[in-house]
Amino acid sequence: MAQKNSPTVRFLLGNEAIGRGIIEAGCTVAAAYPGTPSSEVLESLVRWKKELDYPIYLEWSINEKVAFETAYGASLAGGRAAAVMKMVGLNVASDPVLSAAYLGVRGGLVVVVADDPGPHSSQTEQDSRFFAWFGKIPVLDPGTPAEARQMALRAFELSEKYQVPVILRPCLRVCHARQNVSLSTPQPPAYVGPFEHNRQRWAAIPRFRLVLHGELNEKIEKIRQDEPEASPALIWKGGGATAVLTSGSVSSHVKDVIASDERLSSLDVYKVDLPFPCNAGALQEIVDRHQQTLVIEETYPVLELQIMDRRKVSGRLTGEVPGQGELVPELVEDIILKTVGLEPPSRDAPTIKPRRPSLCPGCPHRPAFYLIKDIFDEAVYASDIGCYTLGINMGAVDTCLCMGASVGMAGGLSRLPVPTNHRAVATIGDSTFYHAGIPALINAVHTKAPFVLVIMDNSMTAMTGGQPTPGDGFLADGSEGVPVDLERLVRGCGIDFLEVVDPYDHDMTRESLERAKNYTFVENKGVAVVITRRACVRAAGVTIPTERFQVGDQCDLCMTCIKDLECPAMHLVKEKKKIEISADLCAGCGFCVHICPSQAISSRGV
Amino acid sequence: MELILCGRGGQGIVFLTRLIGEIITAKGLDVISSETHGMAVRGGSINSHLRIGPFSSSLIRQGRADFLLSLDFSETVNNKHYLRSGGLIVENAPLPDEPGIKRCDAASLARDLGRIQLENVVLLGFASTLKGFPVSEAEILETLGKDPREKVRSLNLKALEAGIKAAC
Repeated sequence: MAQKNSPTVRFLLGNEAIGRGIIEAGCTVAAAYPGTPSSEVLESLVRWKKELDYPIYLEWSINEKVAFETAYGASLAGGRAAAVMKMVGLNVASDPVLSAAYLGVRGGLVVVVADDPGPHSSQTEQDSRFFAWFGKIPVLDPGTPAEARQMALRAFELSEKYQVPVILRPCLRVCHARQNVSLSTPQPPAYVGPFEHNRQRWAAIPRFRLVLHGELNEKIEKIRQDEPEASPALIWKGGGATAVLTSGSVSSHVKDVIASDERLSSLDVYKVDLPFPCNAGALQEIVDRHQQTLVIEETYPVLELQIMDRRKVSGRLTGEVPGQGELVPELVEDIILKTVGLEPPSRDAPTIKPRRPSLCPGCPHRPAFYLIKDIFDEAVYASDIGCYTLGINMGAVDTCLCMGASVGMAGGLSRLPVPTNHRAVATIGDSTFYHAGIPALINAVHTKAPFVLVIMDNSMTAMTGGQPTPGDGFLADGSEGVPVDLERLVRGCGIDFLEVVDPYDHDMTRESLERAKNYTFVENKGVAVVITRRACVRAAGVTIPTERFQVGDQCDLCMTCIKDLECPAMHLVKEKKKIEISADLCAGCGFCVHICPSQAISSRGV
Repeated sequence: MELILCGRGGQGIVFLTRLIGEIITAKGLDVISSETHGMAVRGGSINSHLRIGPFSSSLIRQGRADFLLSLDFSETVNNKHYLRSGGLIVENAPLPDEPGIKRCDAASLARDLGRIQLENVVLLGFASTLKGFPVSEAEILETLGKDPREKVRSLNLKALEAGIKAAC
């Protein structure tokens, strides 16, 4: 595939290859909300735009629903457009996505949805191909970064040809794989002409939705019959009695496993690039022609369920493929070997003691959590999605459901009409608050919910790599935006108690949290909001203080700094029975000096 | 040729994976790798898989890696099941070599250069001198030497040199 020394071959992350494909397709609007494993698609688009000097509008939207609606608007305006998100983002965007399938599109519209079998960095293992089926939306499933780039181009063609949104569903092993990828010259910006007024379509009332549903069904049937990707492609021809049907990133494991084992060379392997709407007749033919067919796909039985007569089929529905967890190559190998009656190799169980992730040294969330825990003690801590979920290590996070749920759940946690001995305290990051916390806070104010909300404002979407939030003064490409003032927003939700503190300022933060506690739980005045504001230590331009600290002889090994503060720079040296601070890891915040009960920690200078 | 790189989040595993992959790509060979992003990067255990040859999957199966490059010796145990018999561990640790394990105190050498963050390049320089390692000292030097940021370039080249020297 690679041409020697060709400048058009680059070693690209799957997400960068998808970004490249989006630009090569002549797309002129792309909107996204960051979420692992999808975040690098829009980040790469910013770089491709600059490198190619390409006229494309790029935006980090406030959430996935708005990202999709932005892209949809651009499609109706006549351009090719993309919305990018992770699979749980598709849940947030599902309302407009499902309706848009009925209404149709004008310029090609591609929704990139990254799935996370495992899950490695997500709340669910949902299969966006299954979601696509539910929404009657065609879905392409790439197996490698190079394929993901090609499929991005193809997705725009299909979308424009059939006037439907198309989902491109890469799994994490495609998003975060790197590969030598051949590039081509971007097409000029695509444009199908200005918005055409057609209220029966673009503003369809239920009567017309019925008609549009019929049209969508016809489009799907046509794609199923006519498009080559809907039919299985033979990727390994063995001519034997067993067939393997596969799709997406797991198809790459299947291919490598079979290529590496002589005993498996007689298998026929078929790959379906468009798992919905796939050509069910062609699947059935394969099944009928072979003595047995194994279906290996991630994460739900999408191909398997589209086979009408499954008596000779094994897969997830029959239990040969486990119902949860990532299909790693070892597992794929075992499943295939067992299917053909061979013994899987014995493998030594790896002795794995994975290191748990922690808030970074110097992270402003750490002192905030420490003080919250200290002041609210036995409260129930409703938290949210972001770096601060790691407050779980400090015992300051009890719940983590989905984006924005901390605020809504904190309301529910204090609603039972029986006496409870707990109070609810919610923590949420700035980006997550903008994304999904605002309606919940208005609801809490309006219904007089008794909880304290701490908005941990580090001025960016930190977990996913530091994307800007609406509170920042700059946009995806670094150009100037209008910062939306968080305090005005919170006050606009109806909040009367609002204080902003620097979490590095121990006394200031403690006093403010005490006042909030009094306001909500003693005076019973409703929701109090404290904003703990300090930039993420990983943000560009943040200087790490050079002051370092030492643990003196007063230390009685109470472990407060290790267990309660959970600072990665502090560690117990067992042989010496001493706590030491790693100068490599310490970020100089000095918060440990304040919390040491024996006052054993002191500065050792800058 | 299959290679695992491991360490803690923040040690520059992704940087090394990318650097090696770019060198291989420039040579016109097929290469595919897999890396860790997201929450684990906050100081958790992370690894990268790198495969050179006609592979489609980005993941290495247990018992097949030729090299294990470990930036944190406490992470070696989490990844050594990937190594084939006869495969080599290259480890960042202030300890002597053992059969099957080549060691270099990359952390100390990086600290001597004033930046612990350079330990990844130091270890790569050390590894590049080993028989069968997929990228050579000269190739790494050429690629790192292209970095337009003068300070970064000069620090990386010093780190590379320190690693190469440690192997002699």
